Amino acid sequence: MGNRIFQAALGGITVIFSGFLIWSMVSLVLMPEGSEILESALSEEMLYSIHLSLSTSLLSVALVMLLAISIGYLLARFTFPGHHLLRTIVDLPMAFPELVLGLCLLLLFGHGAFADWLKSVGIHVVFSKWAIVVAQVFTAAPYAIRVVYGTFRGISPRYEMVARSLGYNHFNAFLRVSLPMARGGLFAAAVIAFARCMGCFGTVLILAGGTRMYTETLPITLYLNISYGNLAMAMTSGIILIAISLGAIIVFEILNREVVL
Amino acid sequence: MMDLLSVRNLSVRLGDFSLEKVSFGVAEGSYCCLLGASGAGKSVLLETVIGAFPPREGQIFLRGKNVTTLPPERRHLGIVYQDYMLFPHLNVYKNIAFGLGRKNFSRNEIREKVEFLARQLRIHHLLDRDVQTLSGGEQQRAALARALVTSPEILLLDEAFSALDVATRESMRRMLKNLVRDLGITVLHVTHDMEDVWALATHVAVIHEGRLLQAGTPEDVFRRPHPGYVANLVGARNLFTLSSLPSSSELGEFEVEGLSLYSTCTAPPGRKVTLSVRPEDIIVARERITASSMNQIPLKIEKTEQRGPLVWITGNTEKGSLKLHALVTRSGFESLGAHEGDSCVFLFKASSLEMLECLPSAIPGEIPDVEVPELAESRSA
Repeated sequence: MGNRIFQAALGGITVIFSGFLIWSMVSLVLMPEGSEILESALSEEMLYSIHLSLSTSLLSVALVMLLAISIGYLLARFTFPGHHLLRTIVDLPMAFPELVLGLCLLLLFGHGAFADWLKSVGIHVVFSKWAIVVAQVFTAAPYAIRVVYGTFRGISPRYEMVARSLGYNHFNAFLRVSLPMARGGLFAAAVIAFARCMGCFGTVLILAGGTRMYTETLPITLYLNISYGNLAMAMTSGIILIAISLGAIIVFEILNREVVL
Repeated sequence: MMDLLSVRNLSVRLGDFSLEKVSFGVAEGSYCCLLGASGAGKSVLLETVIGAFPPREGQIFLRGKNVTTLPPERRHLGIVYQDYMLFPHLNVYKNIAFGLGRKNFSRNEIREKVEFLARQLRIHHLLDRDVQTLSGGEQQRAALARALVTSPEILLLDEAFSALDVATRESMRRMLKNLVRDLGITVLHVTHDMEDVWALATHVAVIHEGRLLQAGTPEDVFRRPHPGYVANLVGARNLFTLSSLPSSSELGEFEVEGLSLYSTCTAPPGRKVTLSVRPEDIIVARERITASSMNQIPLKIEKTEQRGPLVWITGNTEKGSLKLHALVTRSGFESLGAHEGDSCVFLFKASSLEMLECLPSAIPGEIPDVEVPELAESRSA
């Protein structure tokens, strides 16, 4: 294959794929009437769904970041037996279909010793709003951990050593030096986690159930309405999800330049 | 006198690399350079001293106190790395003041201390600047100020000048020399650059493949390098093993191809010794001359090699038993008018012929009784 044909082939494949991707999104945005979108967006169900999605996602992002900073920093700074195994375990949910992850969580929180203990202390996770948070955290955490791990790996531990030589203990050196230096990567991790939480469907459906006006997040709204044949509502929730994801990806790409994955 | 820093039998293992039983001391007020090539283990040694790596065995003492298991924040040492490690989220002032945040100083006291050091290091006009906008030399000075602001017991420098251009490196050396003198700082400086040793060190220790090979004053190591790695490192080209002759004078006499070489170092007759003479201590002349140089060796010029303003002249005896390299100026070489194949006389003083080691005697049980330079595990300071 000649150089020009090779380069043309690469360009052609990229253009065709990107074209179909944009075409599908534009179709979604252009299909419904503007008035239909507005009416659906302002419906009680959609407002409930947006509110629930935003509130659970923000709480989940906070929990995800706590996990991501702890685990990402541990993996980046320390070597210990089982380091590689831990990285693999943490990454596992990324390879799982969301439905399978949801089923695993349903068994953990719905049956067995741990579920019994939760019930005994009055915590009912399964099919509650808390289940949405649990599902979102387990779905989004691996992505955030990966970004945070890459961020801390990109910061020389010698910065902390300098801080420690100046009298700061490990925790304070982490707090005063590594954490502020990682802020770009941490923000990127939070953005990607937020997008994953907002779009989390399969795990939420299995663990929280798709109950209308109770555990109804935006992807559940899309699923329920398309099941009922209410296309305007389904497409509106799709457009809102695309807008949120697009915004998140743009922010992530800008911030990701300083992250070494 | 007790050393300020004393490292005893320190062994560290990091993956495939290991540091083996290193011992040395740094006296208060001294400037000690740890000299070695990349991968020799000098940075590992420095980072073990500061507390980044736990040693497998051995101890580190600071003012006689065992600090081996203390965390870095309790050792009170300052460190400056080759790549500065200035905190990018803080400006120059906040970087320098960083270490004072853990101490009970008022805002005015902090400002005074920061400004004093900034003036000493000529960066007082840069205090409000973002560290990423500074040049390499300015960043290095800011890093030095940050390390010194807490008045550490010892300043540790890890290849501190390696990332700087030649001119900036030279001015940093001058500035650091003045600062060390004015503030009475004790320094342990890891470097691969002999220029750092010449410009700054009062003591030097050579490290190679995780072992300390030789320690002493720079002059000692330069003039009497341990044969092998250290000799190569300091550019000792003229190393040869000769037999000692009986001598009627107080000078040592050594024989090669019927020629006698004289040295202020002596050895028992019949003993094989390793001798060295620095190339820059040799004069090359067309014929023997009346001079204070006891050694005037007729050699045939084998090779000449021009290196900028200097010329290497290599001469050899007829049978090839003694090859000498002389380093002369270009103008000196031109006025000599010699060419390859010409016969010349290589002259050097008896005091320039150093004895590096005296090999074990051929007579069983006899122990060499000459003094040889102290090696490895003796203290440098």
